[in-house]
Amino acid sequence: MSERHMKLGAFLMAGGHHIAAWRHPDAHAPAGSDIDHFIAVARIAERGKFDMIFIEDAAAIRERNPDLASQAARSTAFEPLSLLAAIAVNTSHVGLVATASTSYTEPYGLARSFAALDQLSGGRAGWNLVTSASELEAENFASSGLRPHSQRYERAEEFADAALALWDGVEDGTYFPAGGETFADHSKLHPVHWHGKHFAVDGILESQRSPQGRPIMVQAGASDVGKDLAARTADVVFAASQTKAEAQAYYADVKLRLGKYGRGQDDLKVMPGISPIVGATEEEAKAKYRALQEFIPDAVGVALLASYLSVQDLSAYPLDGPLPEMPQTNLIQSRQQLIVDLGKREGLSIRELARHFAGARGHWQVVGTPSQVADAMEERFLDGAADGFNVMAPLFPSGLEDFVTLVVPELQRRGVFRKEYEGRTLRRNLGVASPSKG
Amino acid sequence: MLLGYSLTPFGHDPDAWTKARDRRRLGFDALLDQVAAAEAAGFDFVLLADRLGVRPVDDLSSVAVPFEPTLLASALATRADRIGIVAAASTAQHEPYNLARRFASLDLVSKGRAGWLVVPDDGDAGRGNEYVDVVTALWDSFEDDAFIYDKAAGRFFDPSKMHVAHHQGAYLAVRGPLNVNRSPQGRPVLAHLLEEGDDALAARTGELLLLQADTVEGLVAIAARMIRSVEAAGRRRSDVRLVANIVPVVAESEQALGEDGRILPIAGIQMDGTPEMIADRLQELATATDLEGFTILPPSLEMGQRFLGDVVPELGRRGLIGSRRQETLRDRLGLAQPVHPAASGKEVSA
Repeated sequence: MSERHMKLGAFLMAGGHHIAAWRHPDAHAPAGSDIDHFIAVARIAERGKFDMIFIEDAAAIRERNPDLASQAARSTAFEPLSLLAAIAVNTSHVGLVATASTSYTEPYGLARSFAALDQLSGGRAGWNLVTSASELEAENFASSGLRPHSQRYERAEEFADAALALWDGVEDGTYFPAGGETFADHSKLHPVHWHGKHFAVDGILESQRSPQGRPIMVQAGASDVGKDLAARTADVVFAASQTKAEAQAYYADVKLRLGKYGRGQDDLKVMPGISPIVGATEEEAKAKYRALQEFIPDAVGVALLASYLSVQDLSAYPLDGPLPEMPQTNLIQSRQQLIVDLGKREGLSIRELARHFAGARGHWQVVGTPSQVADAMEERFLDGAADGFNVMAPLFPSGLEDFVTLVVPELQRRGVFRKEYEGRTLRRNLGVASPSKG
Repeated sequence: MLLGYSLTPFGHDPDAWTKARDRRRLGFDALLDQVAAAEAAGFDFVLLADRLGVRPVDDLSSVAVPFEPTLLASALATRADRIGIVAAASTAQHEPYNLARRFASLDLVSKGRAGWLVVPDDGDAGRGNEYVDVVTALWDSFEDDAFIYDKAAGRFFDPSKMHVAHHQGAYLAVRGPLNVNRSPQGRPVLAHLLEEGDDALAARTGELLLLQADTVEGLVAIAARMIRSVEAAGRRRSDVRLVANIVPVVAESEQALGEDGRILPIAGIQMDGTPEMIADRLQELATATDLEGFTILPPSLEMGQRFLGDVVPELGRRGLIGSRRQETLRDRLGLAQPVHPAASGKEVSA
């Protein structure tokens, strides 16, 4: 393939990524609990030839204060694997990436679940590995306890290796060996006997081998250990970058690390988030954006900002003043830095930062015409800032529908995005290397 | 008469695969075909029993469905839209918060047709008891009418109708609330498989009781014991449904009877006979044992088809199977919607 194509993910979220999306007059407020809504949105992504849809996750309601929790549509959601299993058998080509934590699950159960998703979808499953940082999640698994940053990653490293071993436990053609008198060819089974620091696993998965070898591994970690884990094990890395320079620095950093693990530059796709608000004209796009911003209650926006900064509360500070100095935390260090930098660079007040983050939650936001959005994407794609993008539509289904009808044809016309799927598996469409046959 | 269908790729007979050597039988489409046929025949639920929580160490079984059952259930639910789906999950293999989410999500995907076959820890009955209570409390995180979606006021749910479990027990500590909406049927249906041994947890919490015995005498004994245990736990007979495992070997005619004559190595009461004979025996057994119905464990795909094609219509002619229009599994089973503890005045927090 001489032409390099960008990869596209559709990051789905209930009625939209915008925190107030559910209040929009067009919004189907119960979208987050409506399977028919999700299947319809996944089919829009598939019509747009997206590589994948992506579902985030937290094993908790993310807000401790019930009054604030009750104002956020994100408070409740489908468990991601259950959701994607349902979507898998109602779509045919689009990849299905679910977030799952290594801190509150164990390798056998999780590897088994992703193997099932991979079989149900004919080889379209992906796992976004996260290590879970929030106290609210930890309290739902209090016997496990919250681990400091370094130990969470140590556990994640071992978890990923154990999961890979389980997926490699069954070779192709294990069931019904040719001319055989047995149900399964035992010479093609490789039972796992894993006895590590964090896990003991003895067994095999009762599943055929994945049609794509193994599920695709996705990560979003932006700390040093996170980037190393991604460089060693991931096929795709998501990232939150505001400016092109930040995105280029991140891209170069992650790609440089691949060499350490003997991997090629194309073996890991860097796909930062983009929050596009598309209109037929620039004015129409801006009007769409303003209409959404109006629905953000300040209390909700500021609480969300506080959670990204990993601080308890910002209500003691004036809304129209700057951010106070932040203590170092062992939680999501990278996101905190990004917000502090943005606030200083653009001289934004707490209210302005809160609204800004409520819209795109720290991701890159582009408001404009189809060709303006395509320009912005193409520039970062060609200038070493991205292999593709994780598209975060502000509203579903209309925001994704706009992108698929208006922006995708523009990207195709410019020759930077596929017109047809290359194959039926996510691995084939992403164009990342297949693992050995196990 | 309630009817359940226990799903396997080839049938419950460990040798059944030799008569259907086709890898496609292991795939989703073939499994869906079986479920759709059971649904069309009027079955109330499909059972995904999953080796009952036993993980394979170095072998693959032709009797096990090669999919993690809760996810297979979710996929099936979108393509078969009337039948209930009961999936096994072990309390030893999932954190309670994760399991509560899986089944709450499955209940949303299936629009209220989910059931959890509780596979409790082998070792410690205390943990199993506490675990089911935690899951139930998490399912009660929101009252039935909590979600108001008030766009003008910016209020997604009524915070006074959200309940935080704050569970701190001998085995488990789980704060809550669950981050999934209230189930369309209140809570997923709790099922238990009962043979011998400790039935206290099933008697206290079970709703769909799946009885497994190899003989009629054994079945009568288990059913009587369970009814006593349920009542001893302070519940009514009408709070539970008793359903027995049956292995039907359907002969095409009286002449063909006993051609095989094998006793199959399957846990359940084997019934050999013509469709009329099997219908007679099911009817007698239900009356004699005070059962509401049966879970069918077809020894082979062919026997499953014969049961659906020949025995079910015979049961229909006898008026034993109504045309069921109920939407949720709970309604199909005739079980009452659980009253949320907040509405009944009970303390919600553990």
